[in-house]
Amino acid sequence: MTVAGYHIRLQRRTNLPGWKAALFSILAILFGLFLFSLIFWQAGQSPREIYKQIFGYAFFNSYGLRLTINRFIFLAFASYAFIIPYRAGLWNIGMPGQLYLGALAAFGVVYLLGGKTGEMTASQPVVITLMVLAALLAGALIGGIAGFLKGKWNVNEIVVTMMLNFIAFNLVAFMIKDGGPFMNLGGRGESFELPEAARAPLIAGFPYTLILVILLMIAIYLLFARMSLGYQIRAFGKNPPAARYAGVNPFWISVLVFLLGGALAGLAGYHYFAAVPGVYKIARTYGYFGDLSFYGMICGLISLGNPIATLFVALLFGGLSIGGRSAQGKLHLGFGVDYALMGMLMISLVAFQFFYHYQILITKQATPATARQYE
Amino acid sequence: MPRTRDAEPIELHGDIWKHIQPGEVILDARGITKRYPGGVLANDHIDFKIRAGEIHAILGENGAGKTTLMSILFGLLQPDEGEIYVRGLKVNFRSPEDAIKMGIGMVHQHRKLVPAHTVLENILLGHPKSRGVINVKEAEEEIEAIAQRYGFRVDPRARVWQLTEGEKQVVEIVKALYRGAKILILDEPTSALTPVETERLLESIETMTQEALGVVPFITHKLPMVLAISDQVTILRRGRVVDRLETAKATEQILAQKMVGRPVIFDLQKPDVTPGKPVIQVENLSARNNKGVIALKNASFTVREGEILGVAGVAGNGQHELAETLMGLRPAEGGRILFEGQDITHRSILDRWKLGLGYTPAERTEVGSIGDFTLVENVAMNYYFDKRYNHAGFLDYGGLRQLTEQIIEDFDVATPGPDVKIQTLSGGNLQKIILGRVLSRQPKLVIANLPAQGLDVGATEFVQRKLLEARSNQAAVILISEDLDEILSLSDWIAPMYEGEIVDIIPAAEARKDLIGAMIAGLHREN
Amino acid sequence: MLAFLIRSLEAAMIFTFAGLGELVDQRSGVLNVGLEGIMLFGATLGFIAAQTTGSYLVGFLVGIGIGALLGLLHGFFSITLGVDQVVSGMGIWIFGFGMTTYIGNPYTGPLGLERLPTWFGISPFFFLAIIMVAVVWFLLNKTGWGLSIRSVGEQPSVAEVSGLKVARIRYLCVIFGGVMAGFAGAVYGLYYNPVWNYNFLMGWGFISLALVFFSMWNPYLLFGGAVLFGLLWQLSLNPQMFFPGLASRYIWRMVPFAMTILVLILISSKWFRSRWGATTPEALGKPYYKE
Repeated sequence: MTVAGYHIRLQRRTNLPGWKAALFSILAILFGLFLFSLIFWQAGQSPREIYKQIFGYAFFNSYGLRLTINRFIFLAFASYAFIIPYRAGLWNIGMPGQLYLGALAAFGVVYLLGGKTGEMTASQPVVITLMVLAALLAGALIGGIAGFLKGKWNVNEIVVTMMLNFIAFNLVAFMIKDGGPFMNLGGRGESFELPEAARAPLIAGFPYTLILVILLMIAIYLLFARMSLGYQIRAFGKNPPAARYAGVNPFWISVLVFLLGGALAGLAGYHYFAAVPGVYKIARTYGYFGDLSFYGMICGLISLGNPIATLFVALLFGGLSIGGRSAQGKLHLGFGVDYALMGMLMISLVAFQFFYHYQILITKQATPATARQYE
Repeated sequence: MPRTRDAEPIELHGDIWKHIQPGEVILDARGITKRYPGGVLANDHIDFKIRAGEIHAILGENGAGKTTLMSILFGLLQPDEGEIYVRGLKVNFRSPEDAIKMGIGMVHQHRKLVPAHTVLENILLGHPKSRGVINVKEAEEEIEAIAQRYGFRVDPRARVWQLTEGEKQVVEIVKALYRGAKILILDEPTSALTPVETERLLESIETMTQEALGVVPFITHKLPMVLAISDQVTILRRGRVVDRLETAKATEQILAQKMVGRPVIFDLQKPDVTPGKPVIQVENLSARNNKGVIALKNASFTVREGEILGVAGVAGNGQHELAETLMGLRPAEGGRILFEGQDITHRSILDRWKLGLGYTPAERTEVGSIGDFTLVENVAMNYYFDKRYNHAGFLDYGGLRQLTEQIIEDFDVATPGPDVKIQTLSGGNLQKIILGRVLSRQPKLVIANLPAQGLDVGATEFVQRKLLEARSNQAAVILISEDLDEILSLSDWIAPMYEGEIVDIIPAAEARKDLIGAMIAGLHREN
Repeated sequence: MLAFLIRSLEAAMIFTFAGLGELVDQRSGVLNVGLEGIMLFGATLGFIAAQTTGSYLVGFLVGIGIGALLGLLHGFFSITLGVDQVVSGMGIWIFGFGMTTYIGNPYTGPLGLERLPTWFGISPFFFLAIIMVAVVWFLLNKTGWGLSIRSVGEQPSVAEVSGLKVARIRYLCVIFGGVMAGFAGAVYGLYYNPVWNYNFLMGWGFISLALVFFSMWNPYLLFGGAVLFGLLWQLSLNPQMFFPGLASRYIWRMVPFAMTILVLILISSKWFRSRWGATTPEALGKPYYKE
């Protein structure tokens, strides 16, 4: 294509430096936010006002910040759950199902210890450790199904994890509604409330799961940057036949990444229903948290699977969705602006994928020697 | 760059090929120049003409610009400069469709056919007749007529994946002729054919030229072939035409020298090595190919320390399955593999690496390397499990980097450094890294699958020297190659394969090229 | 009982519409895992358009139109920009899921139009679905257009050197896929379940996607699978018809999803593949770069 004496051409990239990748990701987010602001504009609100409102509530209001941090922890777990299989080239969109099961298992521990009706004999540390282990295990098991099927028979993991989401969704309904074992006798289709001893301890007002998020970030970073296992996962993700040739076991990698991913999503479920102050039960609207976990996919994709970058993105998105909800109420916007935000961010992210793969070369005509690159 | 487009010449096709006189210039390319990003001049003002009824060979090494030129003539690439005239009419091909409409047909080295489709579907693909509902019966009759005229045999209902390489080539030729090709470009037409198939192809080409078609085989290293069939030779080197001559006036030596640009030594120095104890013993090994058909039948052989076993054969005769089964990439259907006396038939791939097997695959980008990884990470493919570089699950990337630098130096790899992505390397350098990585483990057995295929003369020589070096270091080597000269010059033992069977195992000293050529064609079976 | 069968067949026709589009799409080598998103858009916007204008025709046209647009978008991302097809499809799904939840919310509730007429109790769309199955099969297997589509999906480079325009054919196929998905969504939202609710499609797009894998890219098998799943779906909603009192309704609702997984396992097994000679379009999911 030639414009005003300049020759414009697309060229496939062979190399993308890290800072450029980060730049494109930031641009993708900004573009997504721009698209999002069109909604306010269409609703007759000034985007500037709204963003002031959203960020002000999410990050500079002590109550809002608390909500933001809680959501951030949730999104961070969900993002990790997506990232680990993603680095192996596999798609885990089963975070909802995995987190439902994680929550159910954690509540199951309390139920078995008699915490639904009376006081438990076990001490708080024991109960909480058991709850976390149960959540990890349950998430890993349902995630592992997809990994096993993928590794054994190459069954499409996207469809399988999605189907498992619906199955787990109905399983939760079965447990907490219509006289299910976890049903809150006084409630309207929600689970029993956790007794004091089963509630997660707070550190400076935040659930201790925040520390888990940081520790996991370090662990996942080390896994991919330094460890042999992480190397095998990455090799498998980039070129499965080459990884197999090098002795990597495709079956075990598939199973393992889904076990790990599922376990972390299970932790997300544990966090929201058993560690966030003021919740401590599987709410009637648990499906909403399943949907929210898809933000984890966006965080993982936009940070290109980097666990450190993911945390910043998760914090931002956590704030945006909390602030968005608050703005929605105050400014009488339609329900579900956080869903709209999710859609906008995702489509912007996809559009920006282009820049990861191509560069635009602009050359002044007739003098090829002065070729300059613009991106 | 703005390219002025001439008045649509495509519609004129019907008339343009009438009344051709033998000897008339039917295709004239003038000053064809193609520059790739990065400034590489793939074609530098190439001129050449094709006359009706002549067979015109284009000779050149890999990278000499043959493929680029051919792609330009077929409309796959557009030249930066230069003009093409077909029967005096200036043409401007924007896509293969334009070239096809002007009567140019191409038979590709890597077959351009859809394996899952029938022969008929492949021939019809893209043909104007195939618009709307396909009249199978009529098309079959027309194809039959063409095939008979030139002495080809085709079964329109067969699926392409079931065909041999030679049969596939016939399908491509018939496809081009069915589209009305008057100029047929054949890229490496005999590289995957048995001698018998080659003979038959040449006869058909003779028939075509008698009908005043222009035929252009592009041939690289098969000098005897050029001499045997062509009327004219154009020799390319580094994107330029270095000479044009009548074949009758050329000799193999002259052509080789002009092609490479320096005198060529056809012999490799093979040091004397005393064979040691057996490294690998294979007994009645069988395996299936990807279609589930038994493709390796009861292979048995032994390779000792310091020996090279050359497995010769035309592509698709079980060599690939043999290599993969030895390395564990493909399950053995029957038989045993003993490595230093130990049964490894059912051991994992990783175990085999650890035990001291090494494999360099023929598919260097698909299997042998990870394009998105740096050189260091690619070298790690063979070391991530190695205790020297794996400390309690953590990889020693610093050590791996040093190792990579060592390999770059030892194997003379042209690269900006060890931290670039491997997909930026050229084919020869990629192969050097893969070979260097595998050989640096000092494996007791090296399985080299088509190690020099597609490499230029310099890289080929280098790779072959390294394999001989491994042999001198008492490694056992299994060399799989389609190039009989390579097999003959490197091997201690030669195992010709035909239809999944090892026909015979012959000591290199007693091997004769013509005999082995007959064996891989299934003509000569001893025992 | 008859009502049960009819409902099942009507569910089947929706799976069939969506699946046929995706089938053609995949035959040309483009995987669109965002089927659910396109269907959600078709259902929601079709629903809103029909409710606001009071015209079914407008509703269906809007559904088809948005489907075509999203198909085009997927084509633009995956064919022109060379974005990973799964990433692009996921993007369209999440985009559809997020946006329709927001856009549709004020319209929560029944459509409020007179029901579309039926023919002996069964929707005319059902017959349209059957006709389309036959037409798509014929087009794919007996005509040059079908040959072109299949070739582009198997070996795009071969198609290119045979004189075909790979990108153009793929674009046509993804737009067709989008149109069918948008239409399927509109049929769902305007006829099958004309009560808008958050995420009321319940994963039917993903089930249709699974059905395409199940069909081994054969329209007739796709239809067979669709009928099977239509029956299962109805059974899971009305278990008391056949198994009164057996298990909770929530357990029954898991059945179609669990069946989907089982069917996927079955068709992925070596036994099944070798028996039926199932072959995936070889270039499925791989972007094609002209070089």
